[in-house]
Amino acid sequence: MSGVAQPRSLLCELTYRCNLQCPYCYNPLNLGRPSDELSRDEWLTAIDEALALGVVQFGFSGGEPTLRAADLVALVARATAGSGYTNLITQGTFLDDRLLDELLEAGLAHVQVSIQAPERELAAAIAGTDVHERKVEVLRRVRRRDVALTLNCVLHRLNHDTLPEVLAFAEREGIRRLELANVQFYGWAYRNRAALMPTRAQVEGGAELVAAARARLAGAMDITYVLPDYFEERPKPCMHGWGRLALTITPDGRILPCPAATSIETLTFPNLRSSALRDAWYVSDAFNRYRGTAWMPEPCRSCERREIDWGGCRCQAFLLTGDAAATDPACALSPDHQLVTVYRDAPATSTLVPRRPDPALR
Amino acid sequence: MNATVYRLSRGVRLRRETDGEAMLLVPEGIVTLNDTAAAALELADGSRDLDAIVAVLAERFDAPQDTLAQDVRDLFDAMLSRGFITG
Repeated sequence: MSGVAQPRSLLCELTYRCNLQCPYCYNPLNLGRPSDELSRDEWLTAIDEALALGVVQFGFSGGEPTLRAADLVALVARATAGSGYTNLITQGTFLDDRLLDELLEAGLAHVQVSIQAPERELAAAIAGTDVHERKVEVLRRVRRRDVALTLNCVLHRLNHDTLPEVLAFAEREGIRRLELANVQFYGWAYRNRAALMPTRAQVEGGAELVAAARARLAGAMDITYVLPDYFEERPKPCMHGWGRLALTITPDGRILPCPAATSIETLTFPNLRSSALRDAWYVSDAFNRYRGTAWMPEPCRSCERREIDWGGCRCQAFLLTGDAAATDPACALSPDHQLVTVYRDAPATSTLVPRRPDPALR
Repeated sequence: MNATVYRLSRGVRLRRETDGEAMLLVPEGIVTLNDTAAAALELADGSRDLDAIVAVLAERFDAPQDTLAQDVRDLFDAMLSRGFITG
C-alpha cells in the first residue's frame, strides 16, 4: 500500500502469566490460557518477519516475560542477529545472575525493572506478594553490567505520596534513567479506575517535585514523568499514530496496533497463526481503520494538532464513549471531555480488585 | 583544550542502514541522525576529545572547523543531557 511507512518497533508480549497481582496492570481482564501461547518457533518467525518489514526496536514484555526464560534468550539473540535493538520490560523477580548472563550474551541492550513502591510494606500491599527486597537485589545486579537500565514506578493514588521517597531510592541506587508513569486506564487498571485515580493535589505536587529533581540531577539522572491523561487538556499522541510506527503481538498471536487494543471490542485483529505480519501491517482492516487522519471526526479533522496528537487514544475513546472513532475524551476539545474531568476531584473508593492470581505461580 | 573523551553510554547503539541512513538506537527509542551527527558519534569511541573529533570531521566534510565545532558541541550537550553518551 502506498503512503504507509514501515513499522519500526515490535512489542512481544510473551505471556500474560505473572506472579504479581498489581491492580494497575494494563493486561486484559481475560488473561487467556497458557496453552494458547505462541511457541518459540512461532515467535522466531515473527521476529524474522518484523526484521524484514523494517522493525529495529524490539520489546519483550507480558505478563512477566522471564517466565519464558529460555525462549526469551533465543528471541533476543535472533533480534540482535538481525541488528535489532532489544528491550526487556520486567518486574525482575526471576532475573538471577545466570539468566542475566545469558541475556547479555544474546545481545540484550536495555532492561526496564519496575518497583511498586519505594519500600517493602507498601510494595507488597500493591503487588500482592512480598518481593521488593528481591527487586532491589536485581536492580543492583543489573546496574553492575554492561546494559542500559531504567527503573520504572507506576504512580497511582496508593503510592503517589511516596514520590519523594521513590526519587531518593533511585538516587541512592545510582539509577541513571527513571520513569515515573502515572497509571494508564486499560485492562485491570480500568477495572480499578476509581480506586487508583490520583488526586489533583498528588498530580500537581508530583509535577513540581519532578521539576525540582530534574534540575538538581541534570546530567546524572534522566527522569520521565508521564501525567495521567485524565488531568491533561490535550490527549497523548497514542503510539504516535495508529498503525504508524509500532506493532504489538499478544501471547496468543493477535497482531495489534497498540498493547491495549483488544479492549476495542468492535475490531477483529489478525493473528500471526493465520496472517503474515506484512499483511497485518499493510492491508488488514484493523490497522487501516484509524491510520492517518481521514477517519477522524471533528474537532480532530480540522485541528492543527491532528498530526501531533493523532486524535489521541482509540482504546480510551472506545472505553469511555463506546465509539473507537470518537475524539479521545482526554482532549478538552472533545464533546465528551466531562467523562474524564469528573474523575479529577472524585473521592477514593475502596473497591480495589487485584489482578487474578496465577495458582501455578504462588 | 578539552581533554574529555566521549563514548556511547551503555545500551546505546549506532546503526547504519544499507542506504547510508543512520540512527541512534536507545532504550525504547530511535533518534534519526544527519550525516555529520552520525559521523561525530561514530568517532565517540572513548579515544577522542571534542577537538580530535572535529579535526577528523573537518577533513571528511570539507566544512569550516568553527561551524563544525559548534554543531558537535550542541549535539554532544543534547546527548549528554539525555545520558546517550558519557564524557
